[in-house]
Amino acid sequence: MGEKKNRKIAFPMVARYNEVVRYFVEQGLKQTYIMQPPMTRHTLNLGVKYAPDMVCTPFKTILGSMIEALEAGADTLIMVFGYCRLGYYGELAETILRDLGYEFDYLNLAEYTTGKSKDYLKALRKLNPDAKAVPLGKAGIDGLKMLERIDTIESLYYQNCGFEITKGQYRKAFDRFMDDMSKAQKGSDIDEGYDRCRETFDSIPVDKGPFPLKVGVLGEYFTVMDEFSNIDLEQTLADLGVEVHRWMNVSNRNLHYPGEKNLNARIREYCTYEMGPTSTANIWYAKDCAERGYDGLIHVKSAGCTPEIDIIPVLQRIGEDYKIPILYLTYDSQDGSAGFQTRIEAFYDMIEMRKKVIH
Amino acid sequence: MNMIKMPGRENTTDEMVVGLPRALLYFRYRVLWETFFRELGVKTTVSPETNLEIMRKGAERSASEMCMAMKIYMGHVDALRGKCTHVLVPRILDFGIRRVMCTNFEALPDLVSNIFRDSSFKVLSYDVDSGKRKDEKRAMIEMATGLGFSGKNSAHAYKVASRAQEEANAAAARRTEALYHKDGLKLILAGHSYVLDDEYIGKPVFQKLEKMGVTVIRADQVDRKQALRESEKASPTLKWELSREIVGSLVMHYPQVDGIILLAVYPCALDSMVNDMLIHKNSITKVPVLQMTLDDQTGSAGLDTRLESFVDILEMRKGE
Repeated sequence: MGEKKNRKIAFPMVARYNEVVRYFVEQGLKQTYIMQPPMTRHTLNLGVKYAPDMVCTPFKTILGSMIEALEAGADTLIMVFGYCRLGYYGELAETILRDLGYEFDYLNLAEYTTGKSKDYLKALRKLNPDAKAVPLGKAGIDGLKMLERIDTIESLYYQNCGFEITKGQYRKAFDRFMDDMSKAQKGSDIDEGYDRCRETFDSIPVDKGPFPLKVGVLGEYFTVMDEFSNIDLEQTLADLGVEVHRWMNVSNRNLHYPGEKNLNARIREYCTYEMGPTSTANIWYAKDCAERGYDGLIHVKSAGCTPEIDIIPVLQRIGEDYKIPILYLTYDSQDGSAGFQTRIEAFYDMIEMRKKVIH
Repeated sequence: MNMIKMPGRENTTDEMVVGLPRALLYFRYRVLWETFFRELGVKTTVSPETNLEIMRKGAERSASEMCMAMKIYMGHVDALRGKCTHVLVPRILDFGIRRVMCTNFEALPDLVSNIFRDSSFKVLSYDVDSGKRKDEKRAMIEMATGLGFSGKNSAHAYKVASRAQEEANAAAARRTEALYHKDGLKLILAGHSYVLDDEYIGKPVFQKLEKMGVTVIRADQVDRKQALRESEKASPTLKWELSREIVGSLVMHYPQVDGIILLAVYPCALDSMVNDMLIHKNSITKVPVLQMTLDDQTGSAGLDTRLESFVDILEMRKGE
């Protein structure tokens, strides 16, 4: 990585988390953060054009949003990694971008896999060797706080917005909250924005009736969290009048993960081992929703996601054991929203009829 | 505990027959597994070569989006039903940093036990996972002691078996290395051993090419240590052990051949990225490269035509 005093740093678009990265870059690394425009069909088309044909869809989306970040003026890209193909996203994306002629500095955290997590922090400091430890640590802590708050608000939003008396109130408060996060300069800004949103949420009148329909959404780490990638699945469900629950987010999976051993103990009848990076969590969550008496489950993944394909036989068994309907949705880059809308509506009709028979 | 369903204790080993599905890692570890169980005095049985029936049964048992190699594997497990008391399905996650396997190999034992829960065999497994400090040796010895064998006998069986496997690997690498020095048209066939060694999907490609008088050299039969080192130079964050061996082998040998065929099965997660990386940034493209993906719809006509025209091109280039 070249020596450079003033960087314009960007990160691929991932759900609502880019505000967290922005906060850390601005407040901790004291560098400029470049926010690319929200993802659109154009983003995905860019990815599809330059990515290998059969790679999983998140690679295409991420590649597209990297191109959009570079076009928006970024000169430095940060890329994370994971335990599936995500671990190789960074290098392949860089190769493709350089072949396309883009010039940029690149921090691929996959290159710093040494077995020690503090080495990742060392790597981040390369973005600004002059960054002081104290503001860096403070920005890290506040950034993680923002991340947790975003996850909490988002979760409350999808559980309740389908039942508001006056349409649009929840969305307005949620948008205001995200706007506050995008402007936050210090920890108290995050707290104030969060408190205000919680208060507003609490004051919005809702009518859930005695037996609201509850659906658990689970699946592949990226696609299940990212509303562009899952074509607004949760909003679509909520708009039909469903309480939408999702455990999978960065707070639960990465910050407060109960650990493989503890989670696996709860699904011993289905699994002896960890089957993949998010498999234990998804299997446990499916069982947990079933035990709580939810009305249905929706399993979300991008086409070709190996770990999620491999838990399907286990989910099918949970479906049989607990008599809980499961809708399996696979997203690839060719999909328009119409087919999904129809399938989700049909699923909704089915679980609603079932509920009427049961109660 | 390595047993997914516990057997009725020690006395079971007398009537015990371990089934080995002739698919996926069987081709990599056949000597290791067969020697290990023979040393322990445990009978083994291997499923037949892949055939249409196995392909069909496998597809029925599998989730529809699984890769063809996984579907074939499930067909082989199905073929072992009623022929054994146990089926060996190891869980192999990794051998260390950037030495991981495809996540399918991590999920395999639990997949088999869920998919075949109606069957009477027990899933016998061993767990290779560097995070748990379990290498192959410790994992296989634990599996044997879990069956009631003494630690000493288990360790001895592993020692003999792993030496036999290493010798077999070295011999294969030597034989393959010699082929690079042959005269005439030579090409490298790069693919996972479970694709190339499979009677139904990989062997026909081999035979077709050999019939055309081409020397076909397998990328995966190579000095693995050297290949791992070479792959790191070619692609620093490449982390899949099997891909690294193949990539390293290609980097080591491409100047000695006339062409390269990258043979994958549909939809291989690893190859979907690695093959693209090879095309984008590697020097191997100084020789002609043909990418082929096999799926269960492949009739042989399309395959034959593509192989023939590729070989024609190589011959023309060589003639110049």
